[in-house]
Amino acid sequence: MSQKYYEFFCPVKVIAGKAALEHIPYELTGLAAKRPMIITDKGVRAAGLLDPVIAACEESGLDIVSIYDDVPPDSSTSVVRDIAGIYRQEKCDAIIAVGGGSSIDTGKAVNILVSEGGDDIAKYSGAGVLKHPLKPFFVVPTTAGTGSEVTAVAVITDEKKGVKLAFTSSFLLPNAAIIDPRMTLTLPPHITAATAMDAMTHATEAFTCMAKNPLSDAYATAAVKKVSQSLLNVMDNPKDTDGRLELAQASTMAGIAFSNSMVGLVHSLGHATGAICHLPHGLCMSLYLPYVLEFNLESIREPLGELLLHLEGPEVYSATPASRRAEASISAIRKLRDQLYKRCQLPRTLKETGKVLESQLDHIAEQALDDGSIMFNPKEVTLEDAREILRRAWA
Amino acid sequence: MLRKRIQPMVLQARRLYVDIMFQVMGRALQAVSEVDETVQNDARALPEGLLFEMMVMPDGPRLIVEHTGNGHFHYHGESAPRPIDLSIQFKHIAHAFLVLSFQEKTAEAFAHDRMLVDGDLSYAVRMTRVLNRLEAFILPKLIAERAVKEYPASLHLPEKLVSAARIYLKVATNFVETVRA
Ligand SMILES: [Fe+2]
Repeated sequence: MSQKYYEFFCPVKVIAGKAALEHIPYELTGLAAKRPMIITDKGVRAAGLLDPVIAACEESGLDIVSIYDDVPPDSSTSVVRDIAGIYRQEKCDAIIAVGGGSSIDTGKAVNILVSEGGDDIAKYSGAGVLKHPLKPFFVVPTTAGTGSEVTAVAVITDEKKGVKLAFTSSFLLPNAAIIDPRMTLTLPPHITAATAMDAMTHATEAFTCMAKNPLSDAYATAAVKKVSQSLLNVMDNPKDTDGRLELAQASTMAGIAFSNSMVGLVHSLGHATGAICHLPHGLCMSLYLPYVLEFNLESIREPLGELLLHLEGPEVYSATPASRRAEASISAIRKLRDQLYKRCQLPRTLKETGKVLESQLDHIAEQALDDGSIMFNPKEVTLEDAREILRRAWA
Repeated sequence: MLRKRIQPMVLQARRLYVDIMFQVMGRALQAVSEVDETVQNDARALPEGLLFEMMVMPDGPRLIVEHTGNGHFHYHGESAPRPIDLSIQFKHIAHAFLVLSFQEKTAEAFAHDRMLVDGDLSYAVRMTRVLNRLEAFILPKLIAERAVKEYPASLHLPEKLVSAARIYLKVATNFVETVRA
């Protein structure tokens, strides 16, 4: 279509593979940073994941000046303010966020305060408020799913007002994302499964929703292929370093894809369910993905059918008649979910989670309709549609 | 030479068109919100007194409506009585023209980075649905199908005709009122 237009942007340097952490000192020096601060959470520290990061820096004569390891699962404005205070007191000049979505978002928000000044992060919420580059900022993801290391967004809770503040600016993007298989080697099975399915959903939605474009398509299909080929291997053999690296790269690639072409209804439903029933995000993604694809089917038949090649490989793809490929893609995703259920009981229906009441479905449907990602779903969603999908996903 | 003389006229016409369409939409928004339950249901969740603006960057044509409560909108023309709460901003008049001449769906324009939202995203999502519904109402079905993601199945012809007639009537009265005022 001649009306087609898109934008694609990803200035993050990706440093990935064996001994990737050991590149941190060189990269920091290249940005004239000498006093880095680490922002992380207790779980990451307890799992011993900081040790290789610190060792890598110290061996090169670069001291980590301060470590903040108390980031909560839902980071808040006061946490951000406290960390910014420590950063200033210790005269730090760079941030390394080590962790999952929350530590990374916290790192982004702290970087706003220490670069722009002040104590009130709420002042900078919204889109396009920042006009200048921020301090050197590195991200070391310890889960393979969120893709936050390549997104220009941070979400921080304002606990006094009880609202979530969103910050969007390309200046929030880190200078580098360091993908080292050592960081995800010890992830427990159910988190490995849920986060990989989050990446799978990012890629699938990026590839089938309204803002899809040729560049994000390339990242999305590559990510789908990597998750399909590696996830079950890693589930069966958690110490499979190569498989872990594949999943971590898939997560980053899916992140690049969706940060440029957005997600859709799976995320609208997932965000609402997460907020109301306190279910982990990746779990919600895995749960809703096939039901939403079925709902969207006639609007996405072509791209969804194309995904079969990346989900199941060339033999299955060529043996499946073109008219059946979209359905076969959904079956492939269902099959993967069944396998994950067998290995770690990752729930496939709302009932299987044991944490959702049937009486909450209406509330979830209503809240999903207010979620920003619904705007990019390829098919218009009414309240009744959302309710119907939830009824199907119930059991 | 000729091109130099013609182009400003084309550009001026485009600007005029965007200006007029904003006025039509503003009035239609007010009218639709008085008769259509679906719009009212979507709009009701917006805070009372919320000022919504659609504008062309940096300082182009704009339309401003206020949610006066109960799902009703009031059209304020081009000037707001208070600071705007929710703003949808086209990056360029050319992009506003694409949307307002129904060559690009509102959601598509978001997807194509043609416009920005300043304000609560959940309100923007609701306003986009309201605008979709509005376009389905005021346009002939053939054009509306191009302008919105999906033509509502529940909008049957008689209902549409009756509603459209009432909306046109209301838009017309509003125009007349403006001329008088
Ligand atoms: Fe996600």
